Parts: sequence; structure tokens; C-alpha cells
Amino acid sequence: MKKGLISVLSSVISILIGLIFGLLLLLAVNPAQAFPKFGEMLVAGFSSSAKFAKVLYQAAPLIMTGLSVAFAFKTGLFNIGASGQYTVGAFCALACGIIFQMPWWVCLLASIVAGAIWGFFPGLFKSLFNVNEVITSIMFNWIGMMLVNLLCMNLKNAAGKNVMLPTAWVSSPIKDRTAALSYANPKAMIPKMGLDKLLDSNFMNISIFIAIIVAVIMWVILNRTTFGYELKACGFNKNASIYAGINAKRNIVLSMVIAGALAGLGGGIYYLAGTAEYTIQKLLLPMGFNGISVALLATSNPIGTIFSALFISYIQVGGESLQPVFAKEMIDIIIAVIIYLSAFALLTKTVISRFVHLDKSNVNAEPALTVSPKTDEKPTLKESEGEKA
Amino acid sequence: MIVLADVISSTIVFAVPLLLVAMGGMFSERSGIINIALEGIMIIGALMGCLMMRWLDPLVMNGQLGPQLAMLIATLFAGACGVVFSVLLAFASINLKADQTIGGTALNMLAPALAIVLTWVVQGQGQTTILIPTWSRITEANFGLTLEKGSFIQALLFKNFYLTTILTVVLFAAAVILMYKTKFGLRLRSCGEHPQAAASVGINVFKMRYAGVLISGFLGGIGGLAFTLAAGSGFQSSVAGYGFLALAVMIFGNWKPWSILGASLFFALFKVIGAYASSIPFMPKFKELEGVSSYLWPMLPYIITMILLVLTSKKSRAPKAEGIPYDKGMR
Amino acid sequence: MSEYVIEMLNITKEFPGIKANDNITLQLKKGEVHALLGENGAGKSTLMSVLFGLYQPEAGTIKKDGKVVKINNPNDANALHIGMVHQHFKLVEIFTVLDNIILGAEPNKMGFLQKAEARKKVLELSEKYGLQVDPDAKIEDISVGMQQRVEILKMLYRDNEILIFDEPTAVLTPQEIDELMEIMRNFTKEGKSILFITHKLNEIMAVADRCTVLRKGKYMGTVEIKDTTKEELSRMMVGRDVKFEVDKGEQHLGDVVLDVQNVTVPSKLHSNNAVKDVSFQVRAGEIVCLAGIEGNGQTQFVYALTGLDKMSRGKITLCGHDITKAKIRDRSKLGMSHIPEDRHKHGLVLDFSLEQNMVLQRYWQPEFQKFGFIRNKEVRKYTDRLIEQYDIRSGQGAVTTARSMSGGNQQKAIVAREIDKNPELLVAVQPTRGLDVGAIEYIHKQLVAQRDAGKAVLLVSLELEEVMSVPDRILVMYEGEIVGEFDPKKTTVQELGLYMAGAKNMYRDVEKKGGAEA
Repeated sequence: MKKGLISVLSSVISILIGLIFGLLLLLAVNPAQAFPKFGEMLVAGFSSSAKFAKVLYQAAPLIMTGLSVAFAFKTGLFNIGASGQYTVGAFCALACGIIFQMPWWVCLLASIVAGAIWGFFPGLFKSLFNVNEVITSIMFNWIGMMLVNLLCMNLKNAAGKNVMLPTAWVSSPIKDRTAALSYANPKAMIPKMGLDKLLDSNFMNISIFIAIIVAVIMWVILNRTTFGYELKACGFNKNASIYAGINAKRNIVLSMVIAGALAGLGGGIYYLAGTAEYTIQKLLLPMGFNGISVALLATSNPIGTIFSALFISYIQVGGESLQPVFAKEMIDIIIAVIIYLSAFALLTKTVISRFVHLDKSNVNAEPALTVSPKTDEKPTLKESEGEKA
Repeated sequence: MIVLADVISSTIVFAVPLLLVAMGGMFSERSGIINIALEGIMIIGALMGCLMMRWLDPLVMNGQLGPQLAMLIATLFAGACGVVFSVLLAFASINLKADQTIGGTALNMLAPALAIVLTWVVQGQGQTTILIPTWSRITEANFGLTLEKGSFIQALLFKNFYLTTILTVVLFAAAVILMYKTKFGLRLRSCGEHPQAAASVGINVFKMRYAGVLISGFLGGIGGLAFTLAAGSGFQSSVAGYGFLALAVMIFGNWKPWSILGASLFFALFKVIGAYASSIPFMPKFKELEGVSSYLWPMLPYIITMILLVLTSKKSRAPKAEGIPYDKGMR
Repeated sequence: MSEYVIEMLNITKEFPGIKANDNITLQLKKGEVHALLGENGAGKSTLMSVLFGLYQPEAGTIKKDGKVVKINNPNDANALHIGMVHQHFKLVEIFTVLDNIILGAEPNKMGFLQKAEARKKVLELSEKYGLQVDPDAKIEDISVGMQQRVEILKMLYRDNEILIFDEPTAVLTPQEIDELMEIMRNFTKEGKSILFITHKLNEIMAVADRCTVLRKGKYMGTVEIKDTTKEELSRMMVGRDVKFEVDKGEQHLGDVVLDVQNVTVPSKLHSNNAVKDVSFQVRAGEIVCLAGIEGNGQTQFVYALTGLDKMSRGKITLCGHDITKAKIRDRSKLGMSHIPEDRHKHGLVLDFSLEQNMVLQRYWQPEFQKFGFIRNKEVRKYTDRLIEQYDIRSGQGAVTTARSMSGGNQQKAIVAREIDKNPELLVAVQPTRGLDVGAIEYIHKQLVAQRDAGKAVLLVSLELEEVMSVPDRILVMYEGEIVGEFDPKKTTVQELGLYMAGAKNMYRDVEKKGGAEA
């Protein structure tokens, strides 16, 4: 419990420093407007029920991509491919809804499967060929994004019209985004269950609850099951897990498949809300990369991702109120600073624990020279196979 | 024939940033630090290089400053800013022993956001592009030649010719010599393989690793500018994943300069083949599909990268101590 | 001029939670071999690291030729002509011998390497002292003995006068050890002074002039070797009388448990095989020891035996079941336990708690899980029993992180886990490496208890004392082949050494003889 507290404390410190840095940047760019705009940004998420609904609406997919990255981290993998998995998940959910006219829950299943497939390949390449998953998943991000664009632009219905685009459904000249679910297939929209009326916002639906439930399930899997035990053993020390008879190769693939499925589901719940259409992209969607921030801030704890996703969604909604005086990318800078700080979370934690005198576990640690060099796996870009005889 | 000239000259101009950045990655990784922040470093280099060109533009237009001298200043400025940005990675991963991949990821997130904010500040609210002045290119006129526009020689030599291309040749030669013929290179490589061994013979591992990361910052910064020049449409706070592609090139090149050179040319060729597919006679055209030139062909380099990484994975050998923070022991 | 070239006076070095050196004094005379004796963890390496500039002491002074000096880093040590051969060699594997020797002291013009003159000097030195090396060979391609020569040449290349040898004999055959002693004597004849760190009494008696003894970070005294005995030294080192024998009950040989036939394992490094055509049997109620110098295929053989790696040819049978291609988990189910060579790489998940580590081989058994959910209470109960029964000490009991436990207790935890599985065959690879005498005795007792309980034990060891005292049979491995089989009661260290060095081969010599007769 104390360990958990220290993790939370170190995240809070990172957040505070990040915010202060953001404020300083605002002051540097436009001193007159800095304080009022910064204050506006801080409270924007709570300023109206509609804004709050938007925080929840964006937090749901963020929880999912955050979980995706966190889950892979637990197995010692860095899933930087959440963006691509999210994109193909979004596409398959939409295609399932628009082309095949399926209900929302079938569409969500489709997004899970699509994301899982997009996670499968980097996992497979890692386990069979030891190709670093960071490189492969980056490649798959781009391949996924371009493939989805191509499919959106080229899938035709029986009448020869572009079925994914509005032209097939209503008379519309728009060609750079998919048809809206409101006319293409309202059944595919995630149920609102009256939440929209409660918060007086069209953005509101049950997706935040889906995300929270999934997060809890992930926590149970990681901390209470033999499968989670195997995955973590694999992540902490692959060699020891092999020694223990755990099929490390299979677990690497499975872990990436699950990570991909989580990110894919994130894409599904975001676009099946019916409030945004998928736009033909030139660059990778940021939701996947924000998932990295969410996971790091939560120190890869599934329950923690709920809160860190809510936080990041909150300041992103706040960031919109910075415009037009400041670019909303100011928020990205703040988040990047927070992540930079959390990269040396270990240091922060040691400092904190030394400060509050909680760390007594090191008493019988040996001096450095008698401890043999650490052999734990580190994330390296390509681990060499060769081993000294 | 013109297509051939175009393909060759475009291949070179796209190989230049890949080569520079992958060489940068090589210096960093062979000193023991994984530099996943190359993408961010490129963005910072491109941003600052383009801003410098913008600032020097009036002087060049007045004739107070030679265009290529201005380019040299902009290029070195881009490199210098890359160095400054890479200090953030060095500090986190060397002094604070932070996870190198995460630190690098944070910098990759920071760079484009910073670029957008700065572009706003410099160009005015809502502006997202910094245009590149036309004098950045080296033309036949610089050599006092008059070539027919669109001729083979003109297309081959002067359509895509920048100072960065010449500089890259010089930097590559210098990098090879530095790595294999000098005391510095020997020491740098020892730190990426066995830092404890290096420390035991009095080498300052921290200093060598700083050197490795900062060199990668310098080369990455210049590489970013070179990419923006090659892409041609001005700087829009992105280098389109080239930093990561350069990492793949480095791995494919097995952390060795000559192999990296070959790999860069190879990848650039595929990128260019994709771009010129519609004008290359024997390439399939997919006339019935939309978005072929913007989405289908650009997938090619990524898919080829994947396949090659898989095929060469058995021979690949990373620096042994890469990614592991060096701890002097408790003091 | 002082009598001593180096004096370390009242040195104290603390690490968080432990005093590694507590007021230690060591004085080295010019031209002597001075042994530094102590158990693993007594503080020898720490003291030498202080002298070599890797650590700064909290208290105490160092004098060179009577003058106080400050050694902040290895460069300072080098400037004072102090050199060190580290226990774990500090060599860059992908570099050549020459590059490794010059690293840090590179001859250069304006930063450009001048290797020609370095090569000349290295060849001269290797000629002069009989340290043959190929300057252009890569470290990863040469033998461990050769690598040690490179380390010695590194010191000579730097004109060091004070040479520190940290446990230099662990990786050598008895014959190579004799050669090294000879080389050391040559050095002292030239006026060089040697600090020789070891825990092996025989070597001290053979080569040292004086000996300083440490115990648990404290200074126990300095003695003249000619005035002392092995027994006295060992009492100073351990603090009580040490038995050099291991008590074993009468042997009751049972059925064949492990049958290894013609096992061949390809090497990861070169085209040769790492293990060549190895065949032997282990029966219930005996300890068989696979002896040999490090790097002669023992590790690869164990990997193939335990399923960590594939073999290219041969057959392994465990209790009548063919396990040649069996999965690691299946081998475990059939009764194989494995105490691995590297406890940090394979034996433990250091970031797991002790209890999570204790069920590493058994978490999937019904006792510890139900419908895929781990039964935490059972795990805790089981761990508490093992902690009690095997005397495993840890800061917070079952929830202690494995990383924070001492090496001896980590090893005890692994031994407890593997033995408590009640295996038919226990494979123990260097189970006592890096442990103090108490822990070594404890682990030897556990191995013998397994044998006496009618189990089969395969012990892989590099320590000659262990090889001579623990097993019932010794198999010597050289370059991937078994070259001889011995009864520890009827053989000598010298005889074993000839086989370990490849000078003799029981089977091939017989073949040759047979050929001549036919």
C-alpha cells in the first residue's frame, strides 16, 4: 500500500512541475494573457456539464489506449503501436456498422479483433525473430493508417458508390471523412441510456463505464491469475520465466494481441459514439500516443490508468480554451514534460521514500561489487542472440 | 531517361536525411544510449533551420549574404539546436538513469508541440507552415553553367541539390574516421559494449555517452533540416516518421557506417519508386483505385523495412550494453 | 624511503546498511607476494577497489612510498603504477586483443590511433614474460586462460609496478595455476609487488610471502606464511575450525535415473559444436560431478539437458521417459529440478516477492491455483514453511522483494524451491558460487541429503575442492567432450588437471593404444 502511495505522490509531483512549466511558457509567449488563460484552462473541464461530458467522452478511449500500453509494459514490451491498433479498430467498427449494418456491440467486437490482429504481428516478429517491437509497431502504425485511408476511399457498395463515405448515403460532396452513423446506421451507436440528458451533452454515452470495467478486468488478470503471473514473470525476467517452463514466446504474442485488442476497442468506442466521423488522415492519430502518457503516468497500473486518462482528458479539454490566444499544443508540451519527469520516476520515488523514511527494504542489500551484474532484460532496440559460452 | 535522372537524384536527396540521422543513432547507441528521440531531434533541427533561413532571407535577398553561406549558417544552427535538445535525453538517461525509451518518447512528444507553438509565435496565430526560400537549392547558375531546364544532366545534378548533400559526404567520411581510426572512437565503442571495462581503464563513461548522444543530436538536427528540404513543401512541425525509419535503417545497417550508407540508399530508393510509380513505365498503376499515390505507394518503404528486419534479424548484433544505465557503484 | 610501497591505513568503506571495510590496514612490501585472504563477502574486493580508485573510503589514508596519495579514479591508480586483474575480466568481447590492451592508454597522434608501435610493445612484453597472445584475435574467440593473459598484459603495457590479482585462479586448470605462480615469482624478481586476492589456502601457502586476513569486513591480522599453517589461516578467515571433508552416508546405488546418449549441442558463437557426443548415466543414490574449466561446454550441456536450449543430436532419458524433445515444464513434471548457474538470470525474478519466487515452478499446480486464479493464502503458507525449514532470511519475510535479499539467501531460496519439489534428479550448477563458507557447507549438506534419500544428483562445478569432496563420481569435460571418469577417492587434483587442460583423454588415448595394438 505504501508503495502505491509513493507512486501516486511521484505522479502528482510530475504533474505539478509540468503545469508550472506550462505556465512559464505561457508567460514567455504572452505575459498579459498568461494567468487568465491558464486559470481558464485549469477549470474548463468543470465549467459546465457539457464540458464535463466531453472530459468523460475523451477519457474513455484514452483509458483503453492507456491500458493497451500499460498491459504491454507489464510484459516488458513497449507498445508504441497503439495508434495504429486504435485506427484499424476504429475502421473495422465503422465498417461493420456502415457496410454490414450490425448493432453496436458486434461493431465493438470487430474493433477488438482488428486491434488484436494489428498487435499480433509486432508480437509475432518479436517472439520469432527478436525484431524490436518499437520499430515494428511504428511501421504498423503507418501501414495501418494508410491502409484504412485507402479502404475508406475505395470500398464500394453494389451501386458502385463509396460505401464508407457520405456520398453513398446522403447527397454530400464531402470525401475526406466517413458517413455519420446517425443516418448510416443509428443502431451502431453506443447506447446513451439517458446519460446524454443527465449531463445535457450529446457526447455522453456508456463508453466510460465500458472502459472502467475493462480496466478492472485487466487489473484482476494481472494481479490475481496465473496468466497475469506468467506475463509479469516474462516482463521482469524473460530468462527466468523460460527456466520456469513458461512459454515466453507465446506470452509475448498474447500480450501484444491483448494490448492491440484494448487499443482497437478504444477506437471502436470513440467513433461509435456517433459524434465524430473518421477523417482521412495524413498523420498518425494522437490518441494512441496519448495512451503512452496515460500508462506512464499511471505507472502501468490498470486502475491508475482510469485516473490518469481522466486527468489528461481534463487538461486537453482545458487546452481548447487556450485558443485562439495560444496554440492548444501547449497542453501537449505540458504532457510531454510530465512524461519526461515520470521517466525518472524511480529517482523521484527513492527521493520521496527517503524523505518519508519508508524504504527499509534495502537494509540487507549487498555492496555493489558483490552483487553480480543485473541480467534483467532491458528494452533494447535489438537484443543480440549471441551469448558467450 | 528523365525519370531515371529524377529517381537517382531524388533517391540521393531522401537518402541524405536517413543517412545523417541513422549515423547519429549509431553514435548514440554505440556509446550505450538508445536514442529513440531521433524523430523529435529531427523536428527541432528542421524547425530551427527553417526559422534561421527565414531570418536570413532579407539579407540574402539584399545581396548582403551569399545564399550558400546562409544555408551553411542555417544547417549548423539546426545541428546546434539538435545538440541542445539531445542534452535533455542525455541528462535523463545518463545522469538520472531514467528509462531511455520512455525519456526518448517524451522528447518525441515534446518536439512537435514545441514546433507548433513556436511557429505560431513567429508566424502569427494559426500559421502552421514555414516556407523554404528558393535560394536554398544549389543550381547550375552557382557554377556559372547554363543547362537546358529539364535536360538529363540538369535533372540529375541540379534539380535536388543542396548544401546538405555535400555536407553529408564530408560528415560521413569524418564519422567513419572518428569511429574507427581515433582514440575517441575506440573509447566510445567500448562504452556501448562494456562500460565497466572502459571505466576500469580510466575512461569517463558519462562523458563518452554524453558525446555519443550529443553527436546524434548534431547529426539528427541537420538530418531534420535535410528532410524538410527534400520534402519540399515547407516545414509543418513533422518529419513524417523519418526518425523512426532512420532507427530501422541503423538496425538494418547493423550499427556500422558503411552498411548504414547502403541501407539508407536502399530505403530512399523505395520511397522514390513509390513517389514516381505513376511515371515509371513498368510499375503497376492501379488506375481504378483512389489515393494510390498518397497512401498505397508510401506504404512501400514501411513494408520493405518490416520484411528486411525480419530477414536480417539473425545476423543483427546490437551494442551489448545499450539501454542499460551505467552505475559507477554506490558512492 | 619507506619499507612499504603501498600502505592502506585504517580504511573504512560503508555501503547503505553495511560496513564493507571496517578500519582495515594493509601494508605491501616491495618485491613481495602479499595474499589477501577472506571469504566471499569479507570485503576483499571492496578494499582493492578502494586502492584502484573505484571507490572512495569514508576514512583512512593510502600511502605510496611513504607519501600520502589520493586515488580518485583508475587513472590516478595507473599514474601511481597500480594495475589490477579483475575477477570478472574487464574486456570488450568484440574488440581485438590489441585494442583491449591499449584501451585507455592509446598511443596516438592528435587523437589518431598509432597501433603499430603498440603492437611492437605488446609482442615484446608477451615474449619477455611468456604470455603468448595473438594481438589480432577477438576476445570472444579466445579461451578464458588466454583472456587472463590479456589482462596481465594490460598491466604490463602500462608499466605497472604494483599488480593486484583478484581471484585469478578460479578460471584456470591446476597446471595453468602453477604457470601463473611462476609468472608471479618472475614479476617479484624484477621488483614488482603483488597483491593476491584469494580464498584458496593452498595457493597462498605455495606462492605468498605474507598474508592479510579479513573477516566480515574486519581486519584479522597479517601473518608471515613461513610461520603459519593452513589450519591457522582458515581459523582466522572463518572464525572457527573448518572441516574440509563432507560427511556422506553409505552409498545405496539404485536404478538409472538419467541416461544421456551421444548428446551434441551446436555452438552459438562459432561453427563448432559446443558439446560433442556426450554420454553418461546418473543413478539413484549418487552424486555425479561434471568438472572442467569454465567455457568447456558445461553450460551448453546443462541448457540442453534442462530444455533451455536445443540439441542437434543424441537422446536423453529421465526415469525411463525419453525427454530429448520434451518441454521444460514436462521435464519438471517428470522429476527434474534445476539449480541454475546464474541465479539472477534464470533462478529468480528479482522484482517478484520471495513468495512469488517460491512458486515459480509450481504456481500452476492445483495446490496454488483454482480456475486460473492464484490462491494467495496457500502461496503464503507454503513460503512461510520453506522459510522456516530452510532458514531463508529476508527483511520482510514472504513479501520481501527478491532483489533486496543477500546472495546467500537468494541461493538458499532457490535450493529450497528446487529440493522441495521432491525431484528424482537434481541438477545443481555451481550451486555454491560466490557464497561464504557457512552457506557452502549448508548447500553441500543438502546435496548429500538428496543422495542419501536415494535421489540422483548431477553437480556441475568449477571449484576443485568441491569436485574432490562432494561427488561419488567425477566426469571431466574438455572442449565439449567427456575426457575422463574418476573416483574422487582414487584420483588427485594434478591428475584431474591434466584432463581438464586437454593434455590427456582417457578414451582417445585408449583408442590410439588400441589402434597401435591392432
